[in-house]
Amino acid sequence: MTQTPLAADAPIQHGAGKPLPWEPVLMTAVGREGGRFLPDYLLRGGYQGLKKAVQDMDPDSVIKEVTDSKLLGRGGAGFPTGVKWGGTKRNPGPRHLVVNADESEPGTYGNRYAIDADPHGLIEGMLVCCVAVGIQQAYIYIRGENLYGAEVLEHAIKEAYAAGYIGKNILGKVGVNVDISVTRGAGAYVCGEETALMESLEGRRAQPRIRPPFPIEVGGGLFGRPTVVNNVETLMCVPHILVRGAAWFASIGAPACPGPKLYTISGHVNRPGVYELPMGTTLYDLIYKYAGGMKRNQKVKAVSPGALACQLLPGTDLNVQMDTATLTRPPHWHPPFGPVGFGAGGIIVYGEETDIVQVVARAAGFFARESCGKCVPCREGTHWMQDVLGRIAHGHGRPRDLGILEDVTRNIGGRKTLCALGDFSVNSVASALRLFRPEFEAYCNGHARSSAAGSGVPVAAGWS
Amino acid sequence: MSLSQAARDRIVNEFIPRYPSKRAALMPSLWLAQEEAGWLGPEVFEEVGELLDLHATDVASVASFYVMFHRRKIGDRLIEVCENPSCFLNGSDQTYARICDRLGLDAGHGGHGMQTTPDGKFSVRPTECLAACDYAPVVQVDLRFYGPVHVADVDAFLANMEAFSIQGKPSVSMANGPQAIPVEGWETHAPPAPGSAA
Repeated sequence: MTQTPLAADAPIQHGAGKPLPWEPVLMTAVGREGGRFLPDYLLRGGYQGLKKAVQDMDPDSVIKEVTDSKLLGRGGAGFPTGVKWGGTKRNPGPRHLVVNADESEPGTYGNRYAIDADPHGLIEGMLVCCVAVGIQQAYIYIRGENLYGAEVLEHAIKEAYAAGYIGKNILGKVGVNVDISVTRGAGAYVCGEETALMESLEGRRAQPRIRPPFPIEVGGGLFGRPTVVNNVETLMCVPHILVRGAAWFASIGAPACPGPKLYTISGHVNRPGVYELPMGTTLYDLIYKYAGGMKRNQKVKAVSPGALACQLLPGTDLNVQMDTATLTRPPHWHPPFGPVGFGAGGIIVYGEETDIVQVVARAAGFFARESCGKCVPCREGTHWMQDVLGRIAHGHGRPRDLGILEDVTRNIGGRKTLCALGDFSVNSVASALRLFRPEFEAYCNGHARSSAAGSGVPVAAGWS
Repeated sequence: MSLSQAARDRIVNEFIPRYPSKRAALMPSLWLAQEEAGWLGPEVFEEVGELLDLHATDVASVASFYVMFHRRKIGDRLIEVCENPSCFLNGSDQTYARICDRLGLDAGHGGHGMQTTPDGKFSVRPTECLAACDYAPVVQVDLRFYGPVHVADVDAFLANMEAFSIQGKPSVSMANGPQAIPVEGWETHAPPAPGSAA
């Protein structure tokens, strides 16, 4: 592995001596020998944020600093982190912290690399949260598939216990006690939903709870206690906010939802991967400037801006800023389904050669299999979508199928389900129908464009 | 097949004290039991239930919710091929079909379920997003990630999986460090930026 210099003062030069526009904040461990271990983390200025929170600040001013930074949750909902912390603190203890590392939205993979590269960055963010909100028990819930990430975290937690960052009387301050443990999921997309995740952590089937009470309230959180549920990336921002100040953080990128963002881009791009850039980077820059443009020089047909649970953006809309605020406001709002959505920033780019009917059929299959089965619109509706789209994608569509499909999407989407994941399951299907209706019609009239339709090419999904 | 004494000790001394309720130790306990035996049988549900004060049917109902808990014996090695859009766009269907073909299984008839070779060496199934889309198409073997495994790579992959391992590797875009570096000369290759956002 090559050593990457950490230029704190001098900007790193590249190419023809041009200074780079953006100095990474969250992923500084990448490329450094032993970057994921404690000694290197300390070399990079690790645990300074925690020191500040424990020794120099009182808990309320830590929460105020995070609120002032305008940090919004990076998991998809975009809730202000400081407000969530403050709200939890107003409710009586014991309180809990849960880290949602169950990243399983197709196309989203920033958390996995963040944990692999810099587990101590996450642990420090968790500790700051625990100190600020008055939490003694913190749990990391990581998806079962990510065994390697769980091992990296277990090792980092051991290191941090040994060095006195976790445990009793943290950094010598009497009465500040925090314990952190890792719990592995076992393959359920719905665990990315915070209440389902807590059910799973409690040893139950991961089915979302009815709200209110909300997780921050007594009776709504983990083991019935007020609980902060934060995303991995959100917490990794926190130590930097304390060290460099809320004003610094608020000045990065889009003013309404500032900060560094791990964009993950995949699909028909030449250089897929994780790109750490300021919030509000345009889709055009992400695709062409950073991700190396489109494979085989195709045009962009459509983009899933926040993975499968978001609505598709047409390929003509590349000037859009990729951030929570922009993609959840008009004109990126399509009744009755609501905003296009930004999700966790997992961008899937579809080139011209994409058969969009096959893609959304696959999306429908995904949501049907992953529906938890608790509420009716999602449990029944996602299977209807899967069946109808499977029929269409296999070349047996009938003209009236599109009407059925629209009807089904309207009866799932638009806040009719218990959790947001059910609500969002229709987004890619409904938006594809809106944007690419002629392609669906061609399928239903016996003019399927894909070679996959009825040609004997094996399709992995289980459509009958 | 039943839980070893070591596993019981670990459940009682490590997992149960970790949480405020005994029940919460269920997920790690099931993982531990599956690591020992490769799958979860009815006896395990009884035994884990006894340790955690749960009825065996209760344990089974939780285990049945999660696709990674196997309630039937599976092959020695479990090969799972991602079939979600990012991998699909990069040819994961063909990869899946070729892997099935090389192992003597029928990709078309497996549906979304698991198929096991008659000698019990391999089980294969399609799976959902594994969160490694930059290495698409991604294959997971016994919870380790491998990629990209294109259809032409399948024979090499089956002969030497480790050559395709992406465990602990940084993202494709971060091979030279964390900096998001503009592609050299991108302005000349990219189409003109569109006008205003719609």
